[in-house]
Amino acid sequence: MTSKIINMAERIKDEQDRLLESMFESAPIADNGFSTQIVRRIRRKLWIRRITLPAAAILGGLIAFQPVVGFLKSIFQLLSSLPVEVVPSLESSLPSLQLIVTGALILFVLMFSLSMLED
Amino acid sequence: MTTCEDSQLVARVVSTQDTDAFGELIRRHQSHVRNFLRKLTGDFTTADDLAQDCFIHAWDKLLTFSGRGSFIGWLLKIAYTTFLQSKRKSKRYGEILDQVGHANEVNDRSYTVESDEVGDLDRFLAVLTDEERAIMVMSYACGLSHREIGESMAMPVGTVKSVIFRGKEKIRTSFDIKDHQHG
Repeated sequence: MTSKIINMAERIKDEQDRLLESMFESAPIADNGFSTQIVRRIRRKLWIRRITLPAAAILGGLIAFQPVVGFLKSIFQLLSSLPVEVVPSLESSLPSLQLIVTGALILFVLMFSLSMLED
Repeated sequence: MTTCEDSQLVARVVSTQDTDAFGELIRRHQSHVRNFLRKLTGDFTTADDLAQDCFIHAWDKLLTFSGRGSFIGWLLKIAYTTFLQSKRKSKRYGEILDQVGHANEVNDRSYTVESDEVGDLDRFLAVLTDEERAIMVMSYACGLSHREIGESMAMPVGTVKSVIFRGKEKIRTSFDIKDHQHG
């Protein structure tokens, strides 16, 4: 009821209102590819957002691979320099370098596939 | 998709990031948004650039659309914010150029309408502040109700009415419009 009264009050217009309305009146602006252009911009933005994280992960992995391998090698060297009676038990409890790298790769591929499926 | 309500399209965009649904929303409202910005800036190219930015912002902020008001009202609010931000940036850019002595370039980027070829409407709008202009355009060009304008501009309906009244008074006194006639 109140909104109806407000709408009616808004409809009561004086000469100047009608003059302004006629002056503000303009033909609808044709789309002419405007919406397509924006949708294309948004799709590009989405694509960049989707690709950024995996690309950064791959790049980071490539950069970090050598230092990580070096670090792991030095750990294994350190372990091999330990007394013989300690090393066998440690070696059996720690995973091998190949196993760590394979595990990391599988984890990365799984996460990447999951994010792709989610998209 | 063309028969869907705005709110249904918005829901589809929010839930599945459907760019086609958003494209339909743009097609429906681009004319109003571009028209609104053209009247605010007085320049077609700038207005269309701002309209593009406005829709991109709308895409990013679509989650904040509560669905209580109209979608066009919400869009015009973003358009107005985009316009103000651009104006602020342009002013800052002008100040920097001023400091290095490129005053002419600044004048070229001015938003005010000073050409001899401008119509009555442009001259009318030039006497208004940005806020008054935005509200007048929303009311008279886009056909938004006072309530919708209030929601867009985050102000009470009473304030919207008084801004419109003030704007009309300014136009009336600036152009010596007599009661009930355009002189």
